[in-house]
Amino acid sequence: MDHKKDRREFLQLTGKAGLSTIVGSAAGINLGVFDLAHAQPGKKVSPFRFAMITDSHLYSGEDHKFDRQLEDAVEQVNNMEVKPDFVLYGGDIAQNGTEDQLAKGKKILSKLDTKLVLIPGEHDWYVDMGGAWKGMFGQDTWSFDHKGVHFIGMNSILVPDFWTAKQMSPRERMAAMEMLEGPIGGLWGVGEKQLEWLKKDVAKLSPDTPIVTFTHSPLWDYYPRWNFQTVDGPQIREILSKFENFTSIHGHVHQTLYNKVGNMTSIGAMSTSWPWPYPPVKLAYPGSQMNRADPGNEVDGMGTLSVSVKAGGDKLAEYQPFAESLTPFLKKGLKA
Amino acid sequence: MKATFKRTLAIAIPAAITAALASGAAQARDPFDKEALDKQNAQLLELVELGYNLWHGSNPEMSSNGLACGNCHPDAGASNPQTFPKYIQNMNRVVQWGEMVNWCVQNPQAGKALALESKDMTAMYAYAMNLHRGLPIQPGLAAQQTKPIPVKYGKGFPSKPSGIGFDTK
Repeated sequence: MDHKKDRREFLQLTGKAGLSTIVGSAAGINLGVFDLAHAQPGKKVSPFRFAMITDSHLYSGEDHKFDRQLEDAVEQVNNMEVKPDFVLYGGDIAQNGTEDQLAKGKKILSKLDTKLVLIPGEHDWYVDMGGAWKGMFGQDTWSFDHKGVHFIGMNSILVPDFWTAKQMSPRERMAAMEMLEGPIGGLWGVGEKQLEWLKKDVAKLSPDTPIVTFTHSPLWDYYPRWNFQTVDGPQIREILSKFENFTSIHGHVHQTLYNKVGNMTSIGAMSTSWPWPYPPVKLAYPGSQMNRADPGNEVDGMGTLSVSVKAGGDKLAEYQPFAESLTPFLKKGLKA
Repeated sequence: MKATFKRTLAIAIPAAITAALASGAAQARDPFDKEALDKQNAQLLELVELGYNLWHGSNPEMSSNGLACGNCHPDAGASNPQTFPKYIQNMNRVVQWGEMVNWCVQNPQAGKALALESKDMTAMYAYAMNLHRGLPIQPGLAAQQTKPIPVKYGKGFPSKPSGIGFDTK
């Protein structure tokens, strides 16, 4: 795909009469949805597809633009030509972890016409240590088998207690965790309890069982300063090292991201809220780096990340930017 | 008497020259000593800290929807003050960095723009420039907009990325 050409074409579109109105009322700057098709003909795995929505960072109050962006992602998933078997939500429904924000997210996500599974992000968690989140969405650690694939969800945003000694209120604790480059919370991970759970969960699975893990943060050391990491990622990879086909899917980074470490293929998805800049480390797969969204163009940076898993085990991540992947909300606008 | 006058004059002229030289030397200030530099630096860092706080939402007038600069620009990433003045597409002209900040304040943040000469704007500029220290000044270029910055200053836990494809294992 010629991304530069797409970008040019799209930028040309913005010059056409009528679009300026649409840009002004556009749903947002960075919608992220991706699906993964998994097929291994001749083996026990049946081809299927699932979708992911992540990092909506809903604020309190009515008619916030991030509400519309999440609604738009839900609409886009509901309109997928090949229906997904389920939808994963990758964490950070809320911005400030409050019950009203989580409830708003639940209400919007309830419009999905397919099964929903969720894992938490740090923005969902630190007001009441996951109390409201669990009350609405259930356990933060889970696994299930689907058409021959073993899916695992884990809570990767747990940090050691920094708040008791500092006598911080729940709101102060949440505020400390909200800031990406915040110094207080430190590095997070899944913790010993979940590692033990994981060992037991996969103990009886054969090495040819395809494994897909969902965590909020990547299971490799990308950029610790922004918690683009999971501190016990190496232990998770060690536990899952016996599997021939292991895919890790995560949110948190608000950008498309692709990496391979050992037997793990790692894929990061865009958010429905805002883009984050790539941190100052070199990517092994520069082809997967999307352009920085133009702040002067509210629809710039929108797109869909498709990931296909072919029979041979090769994976291809492709970001489809701009006009090709405009959301239904914007497509309607473009036609008007 | 006459001899005395000559003697006095002879003494007075060199004295006048010396005074003039001394006066000339006094017109250039002394180099800043450590105390003066520390004082200047303290003022700058005070402003950097104010900028850091503003960047993360300390002025409620700058946002009506909860968003702050830091949402999209952690560690002032992708704000690139060293590339301004720069052509900005949506304004269709070359703008200074503060105008770009105000665009973000007024649009994504739906807040009230800062006066370009205000203390708050200077503080934000001080914070962002402090983090971009050492990068080449390239005004007018949009090409650098995606260049990431390694953070050596500012707050946060130490940044020690181990690179792609491997980690602390």
